[in-house]
Amino acid sequence: MRTNYIIMSLCLSLLAFSACHDELLNPVPESSLTNVNFYQSADDIDQAVLGIYGQLQLRKPTDYQLLEIGTDNLYMSTNTVIAGIPEVDGLTVSSSNPLVLTFWQNTYNGVFRANAVLANIDTPIDYPSGMKEQYVGEAKFMRALFYFDLVRVFGSVPLVTTPISAEEATNVGRTDAEAVYQLIIADLTEAVDLLPLKGAIASGRCNRETALGLLAKVYVTKNDWQAAKQTLDRFFTEFGSTFSLVENFGSLWQVATENNAEVLFAMKYTDGTNGHSLSTAFIPNAGVPNVVSRGAEIALPSWSLHKLFDEEDSRKTATIAEQYVPALSPSDDPIWYPYVSKYAITHTFNASGLDLPVLRYADIILLHAETLNELGQLNAALSELNKVRVRAFGNTTHNYTAREVAGQDEFTDVLLKERQLEFAFENERWFDLVRKEKFVQVLQSEERNYNPANGQAQVVPLQPAAYMQLFPIPQAEIDLVGSSVLSQNQGY
Amino acid sequence: MRTNQFILLIGIFSMLFATNLHAWAQGTQVVEGYVISATDKGPLLGVSVHATGTAVATKTNEQGYFSLQLTLPSVLRFSYLGYTTKELEVKEVGNPLRILLEKTFANLDEAVVVGYGAVKRSSLTAAVTKVENKGLDEIPTARPEVALQGKLAGVNISQTRNAPGSAPIIRIRGAGSISAGNDPLIVVDGFPGASFSNINMNDVASIEVLKDASSAAIYGSRAAGGVVIVTTKSGKQGKPVLSVNAFGGFSKAKLHNDWLNVNEYYDAITKYQNREYAWIGGDTSIPVWGDSNRPAGYQVSPAVLNGTDVNWQDAVMETAPFQNYDLAVNGGNDNINYYISGIVRDQQGTLRNTWYRTYGARASLNIKVNERVDLGLMLNPNYATSRIAPNNMIDYAKYPPFVAIQNPDGTYPTARSYWGAAVTSQANPMAILEGTNYRANTLNTIGNFYASVKLAEGLHIKSTIGTNMSYNITDRFQASWASSSSTSSGSAIDSRTISLINENTINYQKTFGADHDFGALGGASYQHNFSRSMTTLAVNGSFNNDIIQTLNNATINPVGTNTLKSEWGLVSYFGRVNYGFKNKYLFTASIRTDGSSRFGPDRKWGWFPSASAAWRISGERFMENLTVLSDLKLRASFGTTGNMNIGDFAYLGTIGGGIYTVNDQITNWQAQSTYGNSRLGWEKTRELDFGVDISLFNNRVTINADYYRKRTDGLLYAVSIPGITGFTSSLSNVGEVENKGFEIELNTKNLVGDFKWQTSFNVAANRNKVLSLGGVNERITTDGYGMSWLLRVGEPMFSYYGYKQTGVIQTAEQLTSVPVMAGSKLGNPIYDDLNGDGIINQNDRAVLGNFMPKATFGMTNSFSYRSFDLSFTIQASVGAKIYNFENQFYQGSVLGAMRQSLIADQWWSVDDPGDGLHPAVSLSQLSFNANSDYYIEDASFLAVRNINVGYNFPVAISRKIGSSKLRLFASINNALFLTKKEFHGYNPEGYTAGEVAGINSKPGYNIGSEPINRVYTFGVNLGF
Repeated sequence: MRTNYIIMSLCLSLLAFSACHDELLNPVPESSLTNVNFYQSADDIDQAVLGIYGQLQLRKPTDYQLLEIGTDNLYMSTNTVIAGIPEVDGLTVSSSNPLVLTFWQNTYNGVFRANAVLANIDTPIDYPSGMKEQYVGEAKFMRALFYFDLVRVFGSVPLVTTPISAEEATNVGRTDAEAVYQLIIADLTEAVDLLPLKGAIASGRCNRETALGLLAKVYVTKNDWQAAKQTLDRFFTEFGSTFSLVENFGSLWQVATENNAEVLFAMKYTDGTNGHSLSTAFIPNAGVPNVVSRGAEIALPSWSLHKLFDEEDSRKTATIAEQYVPALSPSDDPIWYPYVSKYAITHTFNASGLDLPVLRYADIILLHAETLNELGQLNAALSELNKVRVRAFGNTTHNYTAREVAGQDEFTDVLLKERQLEFAFENERWFDLVRKEKFVQVLQSEERNYNPANGQAQVVPLQPAAYMQLFPIPQAEIDLVGSSVLSQNQGY
Repeated sequence: MRTNQFILLIGIFSMLFATNLHAWAQGTQVVEGYVISATDKGPLLGVSVHATGTAVATKTNEQGYFSLQLTLPSVLRFSYLGYTTKELEVKEVGNPLRILLEKTFANLDEAVVVGYGAVKRSSLTAAVTKVENKGLDEIPTARPEVALQGKLAGVNISQTRNAPGSAPIIRIRGAGSISAGNDPLIVVDGFPGASFSNINMNDVASIEVLKDASSAAIYGSRAAGGVVIVTTKSGKQGKPVLSVNAFGGFSKAKLHNDWLNVNEYYDAITKYQNREYAWIGGDTSIPVWGDSNRPAGYQVSPAVLNGTDVNWQDAVMETAPFQNYDLAVNGGNDNINYYISGIVRDQQGTLRNTWYRTYGARASLNIKVNERVDLGLMLNPNYATSRIAPNNMIDYAKYPPFVAIQNPDGTYPTARSYWGAAVTSQANPMAILEGTNYRANTLNTIGNFYASVKLAEGLHIKSTIGTNMSYNITDRFQASWASSSSTSSGSAIDSRTISLINENTINYQKTFGADHDFGALGGASYQHNFSRSMTTLAVNGSFNNDIIQTLNNATINPVGTNTLKSEWGLVSYFGRVNYGFKNKYLFTASIRTDGSSRFGPDRKWGWFPSASAAWRISGERFMENLTVLSDLKLRASFGTTGNMNIGDFAYLGTIGGGIYTVNDQITNWQAQSTYGNSRLGWEKTRELDFGVDISLFNNRVTINADYYRKRTDGLLYAVSIPGITGFTSSLSNVGEVENKGFEIELNTKNLVGDFKWQTSFNVAANRNKVLSLGGVNERITTDGYGMSWLLRVGEPMFSYYGYKQTGVIQTAEQLTSVPVMAGSKLGNPIYDDLNGDGIINQNDRAVLGNFMPKATFGMTNSFSYRSFDLSFTIQASVGAKIYNFENQFYQGSVLGAMRQSLIADQWWSVDDPGDGLHPAVSLSQLSFNANSDYYIEDASFLAVRNINVGYNFPVAISRKIGSSKLRLFASINNALFLTKKEFHGYNPEGYTAGEVAGINSKPGYNIGSEPINRVYTFGVNLGF
């Protein structure tokens, strides 16, 4: 009897003892792929390529916090304070600024996603014809775009071209900006060869024209005017007929007309389900009728920019709204409360479907104008510049004449102003001021809070210095690898 | 109840043995008698009667009767839980014996439940605190933990949120983990990983807290936060006993009483707007309304004085009733015992439209199949349903007083329907509470089945299969008129978690000779946990109407609608030996090894050893003359425990997804979203404990004191990695945190006559310190407005880090002569220039305190006189600081309601500069004040947590209504709650950003935790 019990009991226990270890200790995730079983098929690679766009789509709507609020275009509202913005607004950015860190991390995440595609591109064997080349082209284009942002924001940066481990990363220092540009140029050059034309690839994916246009912009940024000219000439020769300036500037910022002949490439969004926060970010707290019922009011347009707009400039109303009525009481008398209206379409709170252009034909034209001016072709430059003026005013009466713009330097001033008006809140201003070496001169002060009743604006003094043209390397990143590996920019 | 089962088992086997002996014993005689209680002269059931030196033993029946076959002369030993053991020599057979047993004061022989077993209190070698359920079930709390507040040294139970049914935070000896959680492991009737939410205090027999690692290590894997063992009641032998516990009452919130009325508000908001206007260079002589020279954002609408004056705090809070009914039956015979109970509880929240209801049942059945085999079953389903407030308290209380609660037509006006865009855009608080329907429903069922077999004398094998099945449904709906963005919204989340566990133990207990007590335990445990959740989201604004609130009335948002599955497994083997020599020298050692699916391939297994020793000095011969001393014991222990509270597949680099728009169609993308760390392993806590247990004056005074030091290393947290990898962090085992402190529990029986008075006092102090962060010296998390939380080697974790205010900039001259922060204006604070470099920047920040209390105190006094009893519990906490950011909402930001105590004495203008200590506070100046000690307040408090008065009717009276027991009681929770004058919040323990849960935690951050309730209760206990 006793023996039976022992046997029974042991069986009871041993039932569980055996066989179940592996089941209990090595389950496989049911709801998530892992780095072991991803990148196996062409479909995986397709999704991974879209993931690269996914990162830019995430970062782009907040780029203004670093690149516009610091300039004379935009200043912070106290309605919503985001950590790091007050420093940027006052040009007192420190290396611990969280926005700088986030920009670094997000952009390098984009680089990683591109590198991961390139590293695994040979694994699948089921690519439809030509798709492998397209994926490589897309990854290289996006990698170049991310590095172009990094090199302009930080200068020399670590150059990572393959997926690396955390251990490897602790030994990677900064690469000279020139070498970063070499990678950008090489990637874009290859992308031009590999990518389909805009008309032959799905919207939202990059294309051959954009790769070439961006290459021109890279050359302009490097002040390599000959290469810029050659690239732009090739652009106009090959794709000049594809693009034009849309007649109505405001139609660029409407969902119905966002696919048009002017935008070379844009980050695509869908209202509600895949939207961005930029349309909400500038709307006053109480919302705007037919736009959104509540705004985030993170930043407001500076008077420094606002006052530059000519009343007849169609870009003015498409960029800044002066009179304000709250969403919940649309019958109220409007009050003077200027806000950025460029992205103010009817949208779901923090989930706007308006596309955000990465490269517009107007930029190509103004880059061309800049290049021509730098090469001493002032008249040709003026002619290019005036194309943008004509579109803005609907006529030629506001065109600049050679008499008004006597020389190269004067043209540069006019060009900068035109770019400021044309690309207000599109994150070009900071880079323009740096490229044209006007950063310290222009940002001495910023006008805000204009009161039309007495004609007074609040003048906020700033203390710009040349070193601020490059943002600091995030201190948190330096701390992780040591300053002997990752050095800080001068001045910080 | 495990203890009872154990005793029962021993008793039954003893009887079996005795009967066997009878069959062949020669020359024996029958000895019989009655065992009765010396105090009330009532019969004692189940007293062990044992003839020493033999195997002859029995137990008394319901009449206290026993009879034994004995060879005379013999010495009989009578032992009974809670009574002094008595020995009696029987030389001849005469009249039935009459044995009186005296109650013991402090139960040195009381059984204390430890992991996988129980030991006598006197044999304990570890720091274990036991609370018996004496009146805990008369404390009207929706959560049983709350009834334990102030009762356990070193166990801090804080109610950070006061919504009905919200779970308090339990910290045993401080928090040591950054990301893997610090909650203790809750073991209910042997089921590890249970929750207090399922427990009805009426069913609880006792609660044991295993505080040190040597006792907790037997639960190795998940015991780093300590272990709380809940033992529920089981059936007692005898006829069915029915007990009814019914109580009800009401709660009233402790509110602020210094709100400005609408006229005071108008004056204050005018000063506020003028100050704002002056700062941007405006001319404040321009009229505050109706002159377009003054921008709209700086005007004050005359609509404020429209005759309406609403105190919104009072408008949304109400006196809330509650009721609670428990019913339990237990009984049994030699072969079977049972306990079944049911509970219904309905608690309204003091905040309008919030409530919590539970319906629970418990059945436990133990069957003695034969002399060797025991089987048992326990089932405990519990259904809880609640309506949850959609917003924090600030969103209701801050609403400006000029807004009517409701329009005559039934709609709800907003602040902006009186005054333009300058004022808050939030919806009317009453609209939010009426038009938002957030519901949470949980069906949680715990069940287990065991079989136990006696293999030989003292050797038992037991196997248990248990389950914890949890189904949760959360439905959310908000009508457009209840939303600040005028947009309807809704979601539905269904989730279920099923946990299966199989535990097998083999237990051996034997006394060799007279002096050597030996015990050994071996076991294996297997646990598998599956979870599945389904989330469905409505597209905002897509509800067709407010009547149908389910999502079939809306468009489903494909982003955010998904199902997810996950699982984890745990395999454990453990063993424990204990040895006692003459009950003077006591040793216990245990070891456990756990394998967890959550760690990397080579790091799944962890070892968790422990050892402890105790020396009962009072048992030594040289102590015999010290009659004052009833018991004296020194204890020392060391143990290791682990923590695996991280994501299920955190060691893998998982692929995450998102949405991109291609050809204007949303399309999925995928990318690696976590870095992965194949070397991820256990977070381990090593703890040293030294303790002393002293009993004086025949156990009338007992003192238990402990010193501990625990170090948690291999901290599981998301360590930053270089961003150039494409990732920002990797979950790793890095860093070390220390908690050390002491605890003293003092129990005294001050008066023991007819008038009885007992006092339990406890005090505990804990110091937390970061010892290492793995290469970096500090990590800082900064809030939007500048307050930081610091992890720095040498400091307590998550200390507040910011500037120190020393004054207010009152003159233009000071702006240049005193170091000020860039952009400072008149009215902004002067900060302490800590490094003396003449500028105020981030290098001038200092540690400003910490959310953790430095010391906690608890005291319970119990009085009884004849049939009356009275007890009250006081709890105090000293030294915790709260970042009471909610104050800024009551200082005029978004032109909301204001509190006098928060706006007094501040700087308004050069002509009205205040007291020079209070800077200008407003939304636009927050980044000057919020980053300093300005909003940090002392959260020390002293509370009378509970006062309970009861009256037990004499049996003669209770018989008349057919009951054997009739007790009436009344109690008040939070009868008195004292806080520091500088504290302005509703609840000094209340904070809204959670406790320590990851590297970016902001513990102590409060924006609107709910008020504390004073609860009045009246109840009746009936026994049949």
